[in-house]
Amino acid sequence: MESTKELIYETANASLHQCDATEHYILHFGGDTVTFRACELITFKRKIQKIDLATLLSSETPDVEIIHMPHCDRIFALSIHNVLELKDLFGGAFTMLELNSVIHRQLVRKVF
Amino acid sequence: MKDILRRHSVLNDEIVDIINKQVKMEAQSSAAYLAMAAWCDKEGYDNCAEFFFKQSDEERKHQLKFFHYLVDMECEAISPAVDQSQHEFDKLRSVFEKALEMEIAVTDAIHDIVRLCRKEGDLATEEFLRWFVTEQIEEEYIARRCLELFDVLGEDKIALGMIEERILGVSYDAGEA
Repeated sequence: MESTKELIYETANASLHQCDATEHYILHFGGDTVTFRACELITFKRKIQKIDLATLLSSETPDVEIIHMPHCDRIFALSIHNVLELKDLFGGAFTMLELNSVIHRQLVRKVF
Repeated sequence: MKDILRRHSVLNDEIVDIINKQVKMEAQSSAAYLAMAAWCDKEGYDNCAEFFFKQSDEERKHQLKFFHYLVDMECEAISPAVDQSQHEFDKLRSVFEKALEMEIAVTDAIHDIVRLCRKEGDLATEEFLRWFVTEQIEEEYIARRCLELFDVLGEDKIALGMIEERILGVSYDAGEA
């Protein structure tokens, strides 16, 4: 199983892998490991991307964003640094995944 | 490496966001028509009330059509919160003016989605929207024709009675007649 795990993108404290055998994505972040199905990963990415850093910085409440992921019954308490790192990770990871899609469309699926 | 993303994610984020906005807009329209139906019923315009109850059902069907499309494409479909609708109107004509304004806004919104699909090269969603583009031609036509009844007949009691009699017969023949 481990051999089918491929690195998609990594930052200083986070990485995202894809497992072809299970068709899952594995996020390593701050010592934690969380597994996602594709649609769950997209939902998580969309939640991270929608966090407005300016609002978070100007907020009177502590600069922590709470993200709930029901699929794994986890709550992420993310600092601004965490949010920045995840935005960076997903920006890079989804660029690589889209590049992989382009390669499949142009080279793998193309019959003629 | 398998192309898992393509297998499970058909639409891009911008398209998902704009369709979710449209789901909300259709839900809002459905609620607004319901409020119009209630006002007409209260004022004794039974046929106009029936007309708006039907319009409310139509908008709800449009909402579900968009919603099912997102679900079918394995995208995040958000069941929307609906804001308060206008419940009070000064006269019957105002209700129909509001209805036409709403239909024009929906048409504009659907055209915006088509434009985004063309920009993003999303041929499947553009094809899906073709039905809505045609539907809005009909919706706008009917709303406009209803309003024209006021121009033709006037707004005195006899005229309002005649509008009541004719309102359920307003239909669009797509230029076939």
